[in-house]
Amino acid sequence: MHKIERIAIAGVPNSGKTTLFNSLTGARQKVGNWPGVTVEKIEGSFPLKNTRVELVDLPGTYNLSPDTEDQKVAERVISSGEYDLILNVVDATNLSRNLYLTMDLKERTNQIIVLLNMTDVAEKEGIKIDIDRLSHDLEVPVVPIVAVDKTSVKGAIEQIESLIEGLPPHDSHVSKQEVMDTVKKYSHIDEIYGRVAREIKDRSTNFTNRVDNVVMNRFAAIPIFLASMFVTFWFAIGLGSVFIDFFDIIGGLLFVDIPSSLLNAVGSPEWLVVMVAGVGAGVQTVATFVPVVFFMFLALGILEDLGYMARAGVVADRFMRKIGLPGSAFIPMIVGFGCTVPAVMAARTMSTKRDRFMTIFMAPFMSCGARLPVYALFCAALFGAYSGLAVFLIYLAGLFMAILTGYFLKNTLFKGTPSNFVMDLPLYHAPRAGAVLKSAWLRLRSFIKRAGTIVVAAVFVLSMLNSIGYEGGKISFGNEDSQSSVLAYAGKSIGPIFKPIGITEENWPASVALFTGLFAKEAIVGTVNALYAANDMTGATEAGAKEEAGALDVGGAITEAFTTVGEGFVGVISSFDLLGLGLISEDQATISEEIGADGSVYQHIAANFTVFSAFAYLLFVLMYFPCLAVIGAARQEMGGYYAGVMVVYSTLLAWAVATLFYQVAEGHSIFYIMLSLVMLLAIYGWLHLLGKKEKDEVAAVAPPPVINNCA
Amino acid sequence: MASTKNLAEISKGKSYEVAGFTSETSDYAEKLYKMGFVKGTPVELAPVKISDPMVVQIRGSRIALRKKEAQEILVREVGDA
Repeated sequence: MHKIERIAIAGVPNSGKTTLFNSLTGARQKVGNWPGVTVEKIEGSFPLKNTRVELVDLPGTYNLSPDTEDQKVAERVISSGEYDLILNVVDATNLSRNLYLTMDLKERTNQIIVLLNMTDVAEKEGIKIDIDRLSHDLEVPVVPIVAVDKTSVKGAIEQIESLIEGLPPHDSHVSKQEVMDTVKKYSHIDEIYGRVAREIKDRSTNFTNRVDNVVMNRFAAIPIFLASMFVTFWFAIGLGSVFIDFFDIIGGLLFVDIPSSLLNAVGSPEWLVVMVAGVGAGVQTVATFVPVVFFMFLALGILEDLGYMARAGVVADRFMRKIGLPGSAFIPMIVGFGCTVPAVMAARTMSTKRDRFMTIFMAPFMSCGARLPVYALFCAALFGAYSGLAVFLIYLAGLFMAILTGYFLKNTLFKGTPSNFVMDLPLYHAPRAGAVLKSAWLRLRSFIKRAGTIVVAAVFVLSMLNSIGYEGGKISFGNEDSQSSVLAYAGKSIGPIFKPIGITEENWPASVALFTGLFAKEAIVGTVNALYAANDMTGATEAGAKEEAGALDVGGAITEAFTTVGEGFVGVISSFDLLGLGLISEDQATISEEIGADGSVYQHIAANFTVFSAFAYLLFVLMYFPCLAVIGAARQEMGGYYAGVMVVYSTLLAWAVATLFYQVAEGHSIFYIMLSLVMLLAIYGWLHLLGKKEKDEVAAVAPPPVINNCA
Repeated sequence: MASTKNLAEISKGKSYEVAGFTSETSDYAEKLYKMGFVKGTPVELAPVKISDPMVVQIRGSRIALRKKEAQEILVREVGDA
């Protein structure tokens, strides 16, 4: 008698294994990572023979050779014997290529049941499969299933329950002697396929092929692609933004204002109030990203489920390959113009680690919506009628830096990793609302849990530094955006670093603002606004800082929160200006009202910057370390090491490029020009060394690949 | 032996079979091998009007490949062997 406690589902991508997993486990799921790698691990449980058994969804793979991270994970899990049974989901519409994985699985365990999925679609497509024969030839039990149909899944569970009894005793060595090479496996598959599958009608006129003829038509392909990208962007950024202010206001109310008021009411010491508010501010920051991340995953889920994602990758490949990335990298890049956080997360749709990581490194160079207010403010102050052009140049500079980054990485950190484009085009089918919503929700939850915790911690620390002031032997709180906070002190003392980009020592508010930019890039606006004003009339800061700490107005905040949703909806429907580029104008009053800055800020900026130093500053703002939420997301997707490399890389690059620009344009210091060029070379060299180190480590760990494709 | 050409050169409406790779040991060959591009497997151009990446039909599924990379795959026209 077999005791089954843990079951793993294996299958090729698009075989419907995740659908089956959802049908089996219902709401009981948790998303995490496989130990040591950034491959998603989805676990759940379901009732089998009146006991709950653990179920894990293995990454979708075509085979078990350790070529990719996903395959390595699947191989390790199956060979480990940790799971008592492997359910191998096989797509009946694509039998011959799906069976290759089955062959690989059979070499590693004899505890397999094949679930033949989409037999209904296969028949519509023109293929009829003899299930008994297939089971006989594979020497593995085969259960037909329609994973989207609850009744079918229920019937399959009953069949599995009875089949478990008939499985051979577990023996991990059983098939060691039968290891076949690729050619043998395929000829074996071809024999089986010939016996079990019958083509009952011509497949060339089926629905998928007809749609492909339109979607991948020479003339229609690009317009359809652009339209679908626009809808994706609208969905993720436009619709997501509608709720950003709502989450921001409600989050501020729930996690900052209410707790602070309560603590104040019971007479808690100030340090406690500040600390609680600091944690609250972190939670609030994560909350503001909830809508965009959710809508982005929803949009990606729909494209994926529909089957269009793969086609979009094909259409975009023509131009994306020029920068060394596959077509599928287009989506993260375009989403990056809205918000870098969902862009970083969207990179996980790519199949290889190299492509994924390169895209994540490049995505922050797309100017996100939070950087635009900074550009708009500075450009309006100094560029007058040329504001629009100046902002456009910054956007362009970002694109150029992304391409440069791709070039750097390709030749250093990810050198030697082959990049080729092989894209499977799945069948089209209607997206299933339940499944798509659920997977978006699960991914959001994992973002909140995994990226969220680090963001909360970092925002807390930064809030503390921003609040705590030390003067005359006395520690004080509530020094946000004033010159007495620790953060301002730190900003002032590292001021000289920014001298080469044209920030004078008297212009310290500009360097302090770079640190508050860690919260979110648009915070730079608030900080320079407050600090310039404070610098102007010392003592007025207190009033400004205390303004926020006014009476708690719960009703007012909630009304405001809902109003923003209403206004946002009107805005997103009535206007196609998804980037918010309408913000750029020469009318300073309009901009300052829109972004909440004082009218006097323009004089301060004009007094403290020249045209060239302002542009250099904006270049730096474009490129330097991304905001904490992005760092959190990057850490979730790539691990702490690569996220760290990314932060250091982008900051050094920002400094080198901003310095080079300023010194060539205005500073004319040969020393600094040389220094920035040396810096660029040093960055390249550093990445090169990291790449070499990585390669040596990989070589030391992994055995040389076994080539067995001699025919 | 019939003349072999590479996959990027195949024309619509004709039937081919995989004949091998220009470099049997490349990572690319290894990857495609496991996807079913083994010697003797029938392959043909999918009737879509996008040419690069090109779309081929093999083993009942459609796979998109870059034209330049597809040059590594050798094919033989079926019927003239």
